[in-house]
Amino acid sequence: MISQEYEFFAPKELAEALAILHRFAGKARPLSGGMTLVPMMTLGVAQPEAIVSLNHIAGLDFIVETPEIIRIGAMTRHRTLETNTLIRRYLPLLSEAASHIGDVQVRHRGTIGGSLSHADPAADYPPIMLVIGARMKIANAAGERWVAARDYFKGLMETDLRPGDLLIEIEAPKLAGRFGTGYQRLHRIEGNFPIVNAAAVIEQGFRSARLALGGIGDRALLVEIEKHLRNGFNDAALDAISDAAYAVAKDAPSDLNGDTEYRRAMARVFAKRAVKLAAAAIPAN
Amino acid sequence: MRVPIEVTVNGKAHRVEVDTRTVLADMIRDQLRLTGTHVGCGTGSCGACTVMLNGRTVKSCCILAPDVDGQEIMTIEGLADDPRHLHPIQEAFVVNHGLQCGYCTPGMVLSALQLLNENPHPAEAEIRRGIAGNLCRCTGYQFIVKSIEAAAAKMASKK
Ligand SMILES: Cc1cc2nc3c(=O)[nH]c(=O)nc-3n(C[C@H](O)[C@H](O)[C@H](O)COP(=O)(O)OP(=O)(O)OC[C@H]3O[C@@H](n4cnc5c(N)ncnc54)[C@H](O)[C@@H]3O)c2cc1C
Ligand code: FES
Ligand code: FES
Repeated sequence: MISQEYEFFAPKELAEALAILHRFAGKARPLSGGMTLVPMMTLGVAQPEAIVSLNHIAGLDFIVETPEIIRIGAMTRHRTLETNTLIRRYLPLLSEAASHIGDVQVRHRGTIGGSLSHADPAADYPPIMLVIGARMKIANAAGERWVAARDYFKGLMETDLRPGDLLIEIEAPKLAGRFGTGYQRLHRIEGNFPIVNAAAVIEQGFRSARLALGGIGDRALLVEIEKHLRNGFNDAALDAISDAAYAVAKDAPSDLNGDTEYRRAMARVFAKRAVKLAAAAIPAN
Repeated sequence: MRVPIEVTVNGKAHRVEVDTRTVLADMIRDQLRLTGTHVGCGTGSCGACTVMLNGRTVKSCCILAPDVDGQEIMTIEGLADDPRHLHPIQEAFVVNHGLQCGYCTPGMVLSALQLLNENPHPAEAEIRRGIAGNLCRCTGYQFIVKSIEAAAAKMASKK
């Protein structure tokens, strides 16, 4: 039993959820999968005055396509992202990342919206969001706004979300046809949070290239690699990418999983692996 | 704060009044008196509290009881309607020594059920992946994997 008292709300409409969050002015917490929040409440680390469950609101759990874009509702569970055919075809990085999260039970219940709101610096999704060029749709009682992934992650478990805000949707351009992608994560035990993770997207002919790393700072970060690939994919390019990853990881944390220097060294290794995978996966024509 | 909820557990409809601070695992054990669902860590790591929520395995220590209003739950007690006729997975655990102390077993069996529902002929690596969310401190997992392999074979031959 959780020791701290709180009010519990299970609204059926988004507007109602937003109104409750507005009324409690930062003292209420949205609840999605609860895979992070409920243990925090059990341990007494989170002590909200009210919980607003998003599990009963229709229309927050969807995956739809338009000719160019994939739209994902914030309440989409990890397991759905892992198995959905649209995601596997157009955003394979995302289904791959989802498949590594925790275990089957965690993936059945945990949501992409909850994970991106919590913004753990070593979570699986953040580097993916950066390299696929995702945008987040945020709603509050006053209205809605879109924030690009690169502006969304602000610091340690800190995002563009402010009290009263809800992340309601994620959208990203389809990445099929001209792109090769790669995702790599370092973990000691399968199903644990990554120690370091890396995601890469490279366009045919190296017209564009993106790499992002997680676990190497207070948040996931992009590594500038396009210029290194201008003369094609070779050993010199890989060395330059490795150095760039090492530089970006300068503030990597030290903990029981590895100290700063270890993580920086792993940033080199996993950056190169992700880029190699992406380059090898570029379609031939 | 106490709220009334309606929930179907093992096919039976219940009306329960729950403290909003109760997690699903505690409601199942303390209010419905179904003590086959175990609580190990209480924080999402061990899988002893695994139940099925709307047909999918979840960790019931990480779900608030008031949040399952209107939903359908199956616990280990719902797997066989008569102790003399165990489910093939339960039978396979007995025959193959898939348990020692039994603390992890209800969760293991439900994770095995989830796996076999989706993948009736899993490879060994797939079995290990399927039970990755369930920790066992006794068996070393070998006989659990063997039990699930045996259950898969038995269930396939029955079809
Ligand atoms: C055993 C275990 C292993 C795990 N392994 C991994 C792993 O390998 N990789 C990984 O990335 N993650 C891992 N996780 C975390 C998992 O992905 C969680 O599901 C996720 O971090 C939180 O999602 P949730 O839907 O459960 O959110 P909740 O726990 O419900 O919420 C998390 C936080 O976000 C807030 N919030 C929730 N939804 C919204 C919203 N729509 N708008 C605004 N704020 C919101 C909540 O108030 C809370 O502060 C693991 C968790 C467990 C228990
Ligand atoms: S008791 Fe729920 S996961 Fe350990
Ligand atoms: S049999 Fe004892 S914990 Fe698994």
